[in-house]
Amino acid sequence: MKSVTLGTGLAFWGDNLRPAADMVQRAEIDYLCCDHLAELTMSILSKQRSRDEQRGYTGDVVPLLREVLPTCREKGIRVVSNAGGANPSACARRIVALCQELGLQGTKVAVVTGDDIMGRIDELMAAGVEFANIDTGEPLSSVRDRLTQANVYTGATGIVEALERGADIVVCGRVTDMALYLGPMRHELGWSADDWGRLGPGAGVAHCIECGGQATGGLFAGGWAEMERLEEIGYPVTTVYDDGEAVISKTPGSGGAVTVATVSEQLVYEVLDPGNYLTADVTADLTDIRLEQVGPDQVRVTGIKGKPAPDTLKVNMGYRAGFVGEAQFTYTWPDAYKKAQAGIELLERRLAGAGFESDEVRIEYLGHSSMWGRGLIPEPDDPELLEIVVRYAARCRTDEQARKVYTESVPLYNNGPAGASGIGTRPAIKELYGIWPCLVPRELIHEQVDLVKA
Amino acid sequence: MARVRIVDLAHGRSGDKGDVCNVGLIAYDAPGYEILCREVTAQRVREHFGDLVKGEVSRYEMPGVRALNFVCRGALNGGGTLSLRSDHLGKVMYAWLLRMEIETEQPS
Repeated sequence: MKSVTLGTGLAFWGDNLRPAADMVQRAEIDYLCCDHLAELTMSILSKQRSRDEQRGYTGDVVPLLREVLPTCREKGIRVVSNAGGANPSACARRIVALCQELGLQGTKVAVVTGDDIMGRIDELMAAGVEFANIDTGEPLSSVRDRLTQANVYTGATGIVEALERGADIVVCGRVTDMALYLGPMRHELGWSADDWGRLGPGAGVAHCIECGGQATGGLFAGGWAEMERLEEIGYPVTTVYDDGEAVISKTPGSGGAVTVATVSEQLVYEVLDPGNYLTADVTADLTDIRLEQVGPDQVRVTGIKGKPAPDTLKVNMGYRAGFVGEAQFTYTWPDAYKKAQAGIELLERRLAGAGFESDEVRIEYLGHSSMWGRGLIPEPDDPELLEIVVRYAARCRTDEQARKVYTESVPLYNNGPAGASGIGTRPAIKELYGIWPCLVPRELIHEQVDLVKA
Repeated sequence: MARVRIVDLAHGRSGDKGDVCNVGLIAYDAPGYEILCREVTAQRVREHFGDLVKGEVSRYEMPGVRALNFVCRGALNGGGTLSLRSDHLGKVMYAWLLRMEIETEQPS
């Protein structure tokens, strides 16, 4: 039976580069599939592009490709990546320059565009698209003047075309994570765009592997202490067969593990209704998925079904949503908790005096209630407590307001209750971007593929 | 009646989609899955998370892998990109659910 072997190279911008480097050396793969984008990433990259037309892609693509490309070209491994982010064309130009620098002339780099609809919003709204928020139902007008980007989660079609035209490297913008895998599956196994019975399993398998080390022992909750050599963790190496079945493995000799338990944890990660796992290419039904250990570090995936893709594509819009100001300080025994309360009260009186305005304030005690919150966890009111770390965070409309959280906390160091320490250096003010999820009819979105030779 | 915590019967993982946090539980064995299906209802999960989850909780079953998936709405303080929480992506929400106490035997 025909098959294709896909390697997971990267799971997010800034991810560990070693698994990909080890994989191209030691595993037998046909494709290296690299996901560089998360929900927030597109807003950050759009901001970069607005300042410099040559930026707006994830910078880690350069060190990644510098490491893996010579081996990929030698072994005929093709790379599919969404590192293009908010500027796929600039990313492709940078990759072409890198190929020339590495002596890899002749490398064919394809760039897939068409996901960026920021400049088409008026046109699309005139055509009847509302872009109402799918979670809240609110109209786009409530954030329109604060939008920073608008990108469609596009499917595998552009990637398939790029591969058919002989691309060695395919650079995309906001395609879905699944499309990075479905593209090579469709190209190699000849699946048509409406072969739901195969695309469903393909998308389900892609979901299990697209977060890299989270399927191979990273974050494993079902026995974390037994997971070995995570510093040499292997990312998923997955063989997909023509009938849609797949075997997930990892780089030979690497750390971590591929077991029914490790894959199960990733299977349930970021899934809503498993019976309707929506992607741009197909709706997968994961309800009756089965996982079977078929060898050491080998798990077979079966039982996934497919249904037609939704008529609409999801759009990720980002909008400016204010700033976060933070301060962190520590109080020590004796009476650490009471001193912390006095410190917080002093900070709040100082903030009031400074005309501070915020939309929301959150106070957490690190090491005690920072993960699940003070609503669920009793206050640490023990006079013998050795130390308490306060994190004070506020969401503000302006950076000027957000900055006050830190500046007004500085006097706690020498003007407040005894036992204060650990006041850090001035933290950066974080600008917030809200995500506006909405839909667009798929027939209004057209991908374009351009091929450049290094 | 024997009382255990879910952590004795299952492992899990959680993640974000906007302001939705999903928490997946995977039972270590078939009897454990049966107990989870009986005891860990959407309503009980909603109560266990208290003010951490502001919206509805839905439960989905994946019997072939002995998993339950809980979709918790309004669970991330406005969503991962806006949240003031240190755990803004809901990465450790599963651990709080593993602490829930349940009965292992059916009431007679």
